[in-house]
Amino acid sequence: MRYVSRRVGLFLITLWAALTVNFIIPRVMPGNEAQAVLATFRNVNPAALHALEIEFGVNVHQNLLITYFQYIWNCLTGQFGLTAQRVPVLTEIISKLPWTLGLVGVTTVIAFAIGTFVGVLGAWRRGGKLDGLLPPLLFIVASFPVFFVGLLLLFVFAVTLNWLPLSSNYSIGTEPSLSLSFIGDVLVHAILPAISLIVVTAGLWIYSMRNNMITTLAEDYVKMGRAKGLKSWRIMIDYAARNAILPNLTGFAMQLGYVLGGSILIEYTFSYPGLGYLFYTSTTDHDLPLMQALFLVYTLAVLVCVLLADLATAGLDPRTRDA
Amino acid sequence: MVSTWRTNLRRFKPMTVLVVAGVLAAACGSATTANSGGTANTGKVGGKLLIDNESGSTWTCQFNPFNPSVNITSIGFIYEPLEFINILQTNPDGTPKVTPWLATASSWSSDFKTLTMTIRSGVKWSDGSPFSANDVLYTFNALKADPALDLNALWSVDSGPLTNVTLQGSDQVVFTFNAPAESYFYYVADQTPIVPQHIWSTQDQTKLDTYADTAPVGTGPYLMSNCSQDNIKYLRNTKYWQSKPGHPVPQVAEVDYPAFLSNTSANLYLAQGQAQWGAQYIPNIQSYYINKSPSTRHYWFPPTLNVSLFPNLNNPLLSNLAVRQAISMAIDRSQVSQRGESGYEPAANQTGIVLPTYKAWYEKSLDTTTYSPSKAESTLQAAGFTKGSDGIYANAQGQKLSFSIKTISGYTDWDASLQVITQELKAVGIEVTVQDEDSTPYTNDTQNGTFQLAYGEMPVAGPGPYYELRPLLFSGSIGSTNYERYRSTSTDALFNQYSGATPAQQLTIIHEISAVMAQDLPVIPVVEGVDWYQYDTTNFGGWPTPSNPYAQPPVWATPDNGMVLTQLYPVS
Repeated sequence: MRYVSRRVGLFLITLWAALTVNFIIPRVMPGNEAQAVLATFRNVNPAALHALEIEFGVNVHQNLLITYFQYIWNCLTGQFGLTAQRVPVLTEIISKLPWTLGLVGVTTVIAFAIGTFVGVLGAWRRGGKLDGLLPPLLFIVASFPVFFVGLLLLFVFAVTLNWLPLSSNYSIGTEPSLSLSFIGDVLVHAILPAISLIVVTAGLWIYSMRNNMITTLAEDYVKMGRAKGLKSWRIMIDYAARNAILPNLTGFAMQLGYVLGGSILIEYTFSYPGLGYLFYTSTTDHDLPLMQALFLVYTLAVLVCVLLADLATAGLDPRTRDA
Repeated sequence: MVSTWRTNLRRFKPMTVLVVAGVLAAACGSATTANSGGTANTGKVGGKLLIDNESGSTWTCQFNPFNPSVNITSIGFIYEPLEFINILQTNPDGTPKVTPWLATASSWSSDFKTLTMTIRSGVKWSDGSPFSANDVLYTFNALKADPALDLNALWSVDSGPLTNVTLQGSDQVVFTFNAPAESYFYYVADQTPIVPQHIWSTQDQTKLDTYADTAPVGTGPYLMSNCSQDNIKYLRNTKYWQSKPGHPVPQVAEVDYPAFLSNTSANLYLAQGQAQWGAQYIPNIQSYYINKSPSTRHYWFPPTLNVSLFPNLNNPLLSNLAVRQAISMAIDRSQVSQRGESGYEPAANQTGIVLPTYKAWYEKSLDTTTYSPSKAESTLQAAGFTKGSDGIYANAQGQKLSFSIKTISGYTDWDASLQVITQELKAVGIEVTVQDEDSTPYTNDTQNGTFQLAYGEMPVAGPGPYYELRPLLFSGSIGSTNYERYRSTSTDALFNQYSGATPAQQLTIIHEISAVMAQDLPVIPVVEGVDWYQYDTTNFGGWPTPSNPYAQPPVWATPDNGMVLTQLYPVS
């Protein structure tokens, strides 16, 4: 119990620190929202600076400490206010969230599954054809930045071959519905960003899974299994992989937390209107309320997943509870 | 190749593919034979027009015409101005062409301090309520009640000249100013959309800037029929006030405005022929767009604003006229136009008058624009600068002519232009290094004067060079648009006279200011920024063309877009 309360306490302290950093960073960025509107939108008379400063409260010098406590209170109560475009921040985030969860969440799971599976097979037939080809290949790809892989795929499949769409989440002009054709359209648009994410992340899972597996395969109880004459798939899955996957599961829980934040580059590359793209525009628009809320969402996602992983470890491994 | 720079609707500049031989310097496509501009009404109604303009973010489905991040989707379509002023067309006396819109007439008092506008009768809001002078009165007073709406700083409380708006009789609105305000006519008549009192007055009058206006009721040619994050669908307003029996206005039945997040996707959509009205920067437009259907696809890039080098006049070296003269003479503007801007943006001149758009205001005898590296060097030498062993000139105190130029990152055509400029300045012994910045810090730095040289342009054009030159040179604009921090009481006086002057006097004033630009070189214009505009005549006619420039053609130019929408007609 002491372990759990310590973890929860650490979670709260980290959350507070993150909130505070989140409060400070946007405020030290050069420029303000009014200048950002002038810099961003065409057709705005420079004389609008005065009106915009009033609108965004730029020259209203409030006590920073009071603003800080207001901000903490608003974060705790979920009042994020309006974006620079005058839309409720929550509405904006909720409308983009499904696209990011759908794209990055699903690909994270797929990458984990592929990585684990290839890692297990590779270790089992160490030095075999599969082991000689896939792990090194994917590990090399994993060292590329995700936007580079994305651009490469775009160049080949969208620009040169023209097989797949260039950008966006579905075709311009189609009305979102639950029809098969619309779902198909969404999937077609997700292919390239999804592949980029999978090839880049799968390599890391292969690497760690293969290593864990090799260590586990050297254990006595695996030899015991062989000696008993068990079928080889049963030894591979039930004896070796089941134990080897434990450290990876913790890593996976943490990786899920990064799903939201990790999407910025890929959504930018593919103009995919999810949270990552929203984060990019909020930064260039100097949209403080939106930026802060997104930071908060990212931080919370990571912290909650780490906490869950910690708690899960405590549940699975009795040794940690006394630590 | 794949970029998500917000290009066109927003002020972001495009990723430029470098100069391709064969791209014409001519800033226009082949002229269309379609007649347009108020004469051609075929009596037919139909068709679906698609607009193609990168927006950089998805639609918020708000239509508040005073919210600068969304008003390009409501002004012109739904909300209309009192009069339409065409900045691209002038009357023989040099005054801009004015078309009465929600007002039928307007007149100034002789001292230009009182403006009386007669409001059109018989106009109805799209919900059926009658439109009246009260709506006009309400709109202007709303700008006073919530200063955040006063985007053109009209009211005296927002440092403008407007002090009072009253009703005279039942159909006239009288604007009273505390100083001659002729130059404010553009902002009052053309740049202020009129909103319905019966709807807007029910909102919190001090927070109208946050009013979402998701179901807009306007007087305009279109009704917002459906809005999602990625598309706005407009249907024609069947009861539009310009419609007469046998003369339906507008004639295009449906207009769709998709949200394009990237320039690439917007360009592709246009090239595939799916959209008809483009406002896109397209590298290699001839092969990428025009050649796919040369008889129906056209482009026209009318110049409206100078892209200039801003010397910070607080800098002791740049405040030296000889240095600025040398910089101006060292730059071969046509080279910058060709190599930096693919010839799409023509070379500018030192008088600051954008040609051919404002040719009525241009006086050739004043123009000092010369390209002469040798004269640039002799000017520096005459001013006491000597060339060091590194080939860079320095003054007697040993201060080298070595400067940084701030520009906006992502504006790759500007980067290409600056590469040309850097080489040309280097050739005459002036060293410059380009410093790319994000647009918001760039705006912050240029406004606050933390730069040596800056490359950039004014945000918006108006009906005449005054609307660009005043923000550029008036000392009261230091801290906002007078980036270079030019101070001259005589120039300020010229600007102050302008708003109380007759058209002939205004022309003289602009000539005097041109002379200041040409002699003092407070700003060094390099090329002329243009409006990107493409159109396809396969399904629709009535487009603005170089021979019939009846409105500023890009769809983000409001309320010009409304003018274009009333002129387009379906062809079959």
